[in-house]
Amino acid sequence: MNRNNFWIHLTVAVVIISMAAILGQVRNWRSTLRSGSPNTVKSTPKPIAVKRPAEEKEPEILVKLRPNVSLSEIKKIAAKNNDRVEDEIESVKGLVTIDDLDNLAAEKVAAQYGAMSDVVTYAETNDKIELAPIDILSPSDLLHRESDPSVSVLMPNDPMFKDQWALNNVGQNGGKSESDIRAIKAWLKTQGSSEVVVAVLDSGVDYKHTDLAANMWVRPDNVPVYKDDELGTFDDLHGFNAADNQSDPMDDNGHGTHCAGIIGAEGNNDEGITGINWKVEIMPLKFMGRGGFGTTKDAIEAINYAIDRKRAGVNVKVINASWGSTLSSKALEDTIRAAGEEGILFVAASGNSSTNNDRRPHYPSNYNLPNVISVAALDRTDNLASFSNFGAKTVHVAAPGRDILSTWLNDDYREASGTSMATPYVAGVAALIWASEPKLTMEKVRERVLKSTDKLDSLNGKVESGGRINAEKALEN
Amino acid sequence: MSFTKESAVQRAKKDLAGRLNIAESEIETVSASEKDFSDMSLGAPAEDEMSAQMISSGWSINLSAKGKKYDYRADKYQLRLRGYNGTNHIIES
Repeated sequence: MNRNNFWIHLTVAVVIISMAAILGQVRNWRSTLRSGSPNTVKSTPKPIAVKRPAEEKEPEILVKLRPNVSLSEIKKIAAKNNDRVEDEIESVKGLVTIDDLDNLAAEKVAAQYGAMSDVVTYAETNDKIELAPIDILSPSDLLHRESDPSVSVLMPNDPMFKDQWALNNVGQNGGKSESDIRAIKAWLKTQGSSEVVVAVLDSGVDYKHTDLAANMWVRPDNVPVYKDDELGTFDDLHGFNAADNQSDPMDDNGHGTHCAGIIGAEGNNDEGITGINWKVEIMPLKFMGRGGFGTTKDAIEAINYAIDRKRAGVNVKVINASWGSTLSSKALEDTIRAAGEEGILFVAASGNSSTNNDRRPHYPSNYNLPNVISVAALDRTDNLASFSNFGAKTVHVAAPGRDILSTWLNDDYREASGTSMATPYVAGVAALIWASEPKLTMEKVRERVLKSTDKLDSLNGKVESGGRINAEKALEN
Repeated sequence: MSFTKESAVQRAKKDLAGRLNIAESEIETVSASEKDFSDMSLGAPAEDEMSAQMISSGWSINLSAKGKKYDYRADKYQLRLRGYNGTNHIIES
């Protein structure tokens, strides 16, 4: 390359880079204009206003002149006051910045110019604009700043969110601050995705609940109705009901609705609670009746349905299993393995008998399969809940599971306790990972969940990972 | 069927009378009190049964007959007998 060509190439490169930078900025402005709602969560912190001290050398006030007032006129006025017109803001006609040479307080200078109503439309202090240091704010800071619109974008506006200690523990009701799954930081990266389907294999789900309806899976038109050679054909619009061998998976117990709310009650909708996923698709698979128990066979039928739907193109990524017993079933194990072969993660409750699953197995959580995660329950002080099963070899992680507020039947909300409640936190975090990185394999997501825990002394020797799930860390790749 | 504590006690007595082939009047209610159970099978899962792992409120009903004690458990939707001849039984659900 000769010297002339070098300079031509360099000039072209500079022009291209400059244009790309300008276009990028324009895109940012467009994006800002589109996301006008104050409650919209953004990954970019909003600026907050900080009063500028008088001793700083930047211009103290911004003055908007009346249309008939020239720049020279305001310069004369400024000179009389021992001030200086520092700059004219060309993009806004009549707007100037004025520097006070007497070092008076900015508020006083602004008041002085504001009183000149014949020449000035308005005068205001030149507030320093800083980005809120969101990455170092503690959860308690965030809650204390909830009324500050510049920070509220980080928090969902759901009115009961303050009672969801598992998502944001600020020590409410005797809890220990930050003994939570770090949801409010995870949400800076993603709040979930309606492309991710989580099956709740349970007592059904009240899919009409106000806080769930928007996040319920509905069979797309391009997915055929469910056909089972033996069971028949089902118009599975909302999921499947193996307990009653029909299509309607409406919950008549409440337990499944509670689990569904933990995973994906609609977030930031000014209603009730928020799920870990503000957006997700919940597929109800009912196999337990109104008493909250069901048969192994019906559980298998429901898992079989989920596998069929996956093969039909539905993006089922997780099955939440907040149930179990001490009875082992090879058929259930094989069905869960088959789900794993379809890339479906199976998250299971470790049980509520306060016993060691290494010695007294609990199923399905104890199946040694590559797609199973077994979950213990924590209380709001990061201690293993008194009822929770444990097992250094067979229980993988812990999650909040005592006094958990979530959705209930008839548009209601209720606190409940159990490894049933801990399990959907893990399923929900897995869904959040897939929302952020849709192409990750099931094995990789499982590994991410297990390796991103916060180690706790209380879990040492109690669960394999020794830790509580951490949604923020789980999203780091 | 929806139970109250009283109706659950009555139903438990009737069940036990049938099992032991005795009159209900020969059965004593030792206690009937509210209790939190470990899961929705009230801590008494039947064979081939999976239950929701949520702490559940119900009634613990202890009956006595012919010198033996019997452990019934109930909530508004179900009545169970725990550990009778070594197994758990769903009486009604």
